[in-house]
Amino acid sequence: MSQNTTPRAARHPSPRNKRAAAVVGVGHTDWVEDWKRCRNGERPNDSYGYGLGAFRNALADAKISRDEVDGLIAGPTTAYERLGELAGIDPRWGGQADAVLAVSQAVMAIEAGYAEVVALIYGNDQRSVGTQYGGPDAMGGGAFLSYVYHSPWGFTSQGALYALTLQSYKHARGFTEAEMGEVSVAQRGWSSMNPNAIMRKPITLDDYLGSAFVCEPLHLFDYCLINDGGVALIIAEAERAKRMTDRPVFIEGVGRSDLNRGATSLEPRIDQFYLPAQQEAAAQSYAVSGLGPRDMDILQVYDSFSVHVPLALEGYGYCGIGEAGKFLRESRIGPGGKLPTNTSGGHLSETYMQGWAHQIECVRQLRGECGERQVQNARHVHYTSDVAGKCFSVIYGR
Amino acid sequence: MNVIDAKSPRPVMGLYDQPLWESVNARGMKLQRCAGCGNWLYPPGPSCPSCLSCELVWTPLSGRGRIVSWVVFHRHYLPAYPPPYNAVAVRLEEGPTMISNLEGAMPGEDSIGRAVRLVYATMPDGMILPRWALA
Repeated sequence: MSQNTTPRAARHPSPRNKRAAAVVGVGHTDWVEDWKRCRNGERPNDSYGYGLGAFRNALADAKISRDEVDGLIAGPTTAYERLGELAGIDPRWGGQADAVLAVSQAVMAIEAGYAEVVALIYGNDQRSVGTQYGGPDAMGGGAFLSYVYHSPWGFTSQGALYALTLQSYKHARGFTEAEMGEVSVAQRGWSSMNPNAIMRKPITLDDYLGSAFVCEPLHLFDYCLINDGGVALIIAEAERAKRMTDRPVFIEGVGRSDLNRGATSLEPRIDQFYLPAQQEAAAQSYAVSGLGPRDMDILQVYDSFSVHVPLALEGYGYCGIGEAGKFLRESRIGPGGKLPTNTSGGHLSETYMQGWAHQIECVRQLRGECGERQVQNARHVHYTSDVAGKCFSVIYGR
Repeated sequence: MNVIDAKSPRPVMGLYDQPLWESVNARGMKLQRCAGCGNWLYPPGPSCPSCLSCELVWTPLSGRGRIVSWVVFHRHYLPAYPPPYNAVAVRLEEGPTMISNLEGAMPGEDSIGRAVRLVYATMPDGMILPRWALA
C-alpha cells in the first residue's frame, strides 16, 4: 500500500455547516408501478421524465412555487442544462452531482450565500434502457478506470469489486457467510412494511444461504435492484426553511474523506475496507454536529451491495473493528433492533436510486411519516456512503 | 458464441500501456519503476504517485506474489469467459496489486496469503495474458 503520511485523525478541519440548511420538501416517482411496466417491456419515462415527476412531487410536498428555487443540482444521469430547461429553472447557482455530493454541495452553496433554495433532481431509466453494470459495456469506465481496466481477465462487474472486498474482509475479520446474510434478511424485514418497496416478500437466512452466487462470495440477495425512478429534494437556508414549513429536517453535519491511492487495483477496498476514510468522515460530522453514534436513532447506508453495511458499522463507530459480524448476528439492524438500518429496505429491497432515496427516507423518518416501519421518536438519522473512494457522513436531525 | 471463437476482452490501451503488453507478449512482464524513489507503478502512468517524478524505467518483475483476495464468477458476462471462472487479487513482491486469474486450481478458503508465481497463458484466440499459479 502506498505510504500515506498524515495521520487522518490529525487533519480535521472545522466545517461550520451545523444546521445551516434544512430539507423542506421531498418527492419520488412510483417505482413499484414502473417496475411492473418495465418488466412488461414498457418505457414509462426517460431519466428526465422520472426526475421531473419527482420534482413536481417535492414542490408539492414543500408547498412552494418553483419560482422560489434559486439553485439546481442535477443527478449524474441527466445533463444539467437540459434538466434545467425542462424544469424551467434559471438558477443563480447550480451543479451536477451524485446523491451525497449533491446534499453536501447544496449545504455549501447555501452557507456561502450562493443560493437559498436548492432543488436536487435525480432520474434514472437504467432498467428500461438496460444499463449494464458488468460485462463489455459496463458503465462508468470513463470515470473510474477500475471498472474496465481488468476486463482482459474477465473482471468487469461492479459486483466483482465488492465480492473481492467481502472475501478479504471475511479473511481479515473472521466474518461469516451467515453474518453477511443478516443484512439482506433484515432489510427485507423493513421493506415488507414499506408500500414503496419493490421487493416485499420476507426472506430467511436459509433462503439467503440457499440462493445462487452471482460473483462468489456474493449471493443474489447481496445485490441491489436495477429499476427505473426519480427522487427530488428541496433544501433551503435554515431560517428561510423555518418560515417555509413547520417540519424542517436539518442537516446537522457533513463529513467527507477520500481514498484514491491504489484505486484502480482496488487497494483501498480490499486492503483497508475504506476504514480510515470512514473514520475521518465520521469524526468531521460528529465534531460539527456535537453528536455521536450513540445519538443516532437510525442508520442509512449506501448499499449497492450488502457488504457496505458491516464496513459502515465498523467505520462510522457503531461497533469495534471486527465486531460487525456479532452486531449483525444479534439482529440489531432489522425491525425491533437496537440500530434500525436502511429502514426503507434500501437498494437491496426498496429501490436502487443510487443513494437518493436514502435521503428522503431520512427525512420521512424524522417527520414521522413512515407508517408501519416508522421508528418511534426518531430525532437523528445518520447517512453514510463509501462509493468509488469517497466516504461521506451526513447527519440529519429535526 | 463458441468459446474457441470468442475474442478475448481487449486491454485498456492508454498512452502508457503499450510497453506493458509488449513485455507480456515477450513473456517477460515489465512495469514502470520510479528512478527517484524506487516505487513500482500499476497500472502504468505518466508519473510516480509517490514522489511525482517523471523518470520511470520499464523494469522486469520478479514474478513472485501473494493472493490477497479472490472471487468466482457464476454469471456469463463476457463471451471469452464462460462461468465458473475465478479472479484473484495478487500483491506483487514489488508492491502493486494486480487483478488477474489463478491457473491450475480454483481458489478456496485457504487461498488468501498463498504464494503465487507469474505464468503466461495463451487464450483461445492467441492473446497472451499474465496470470498466476500456486508457487
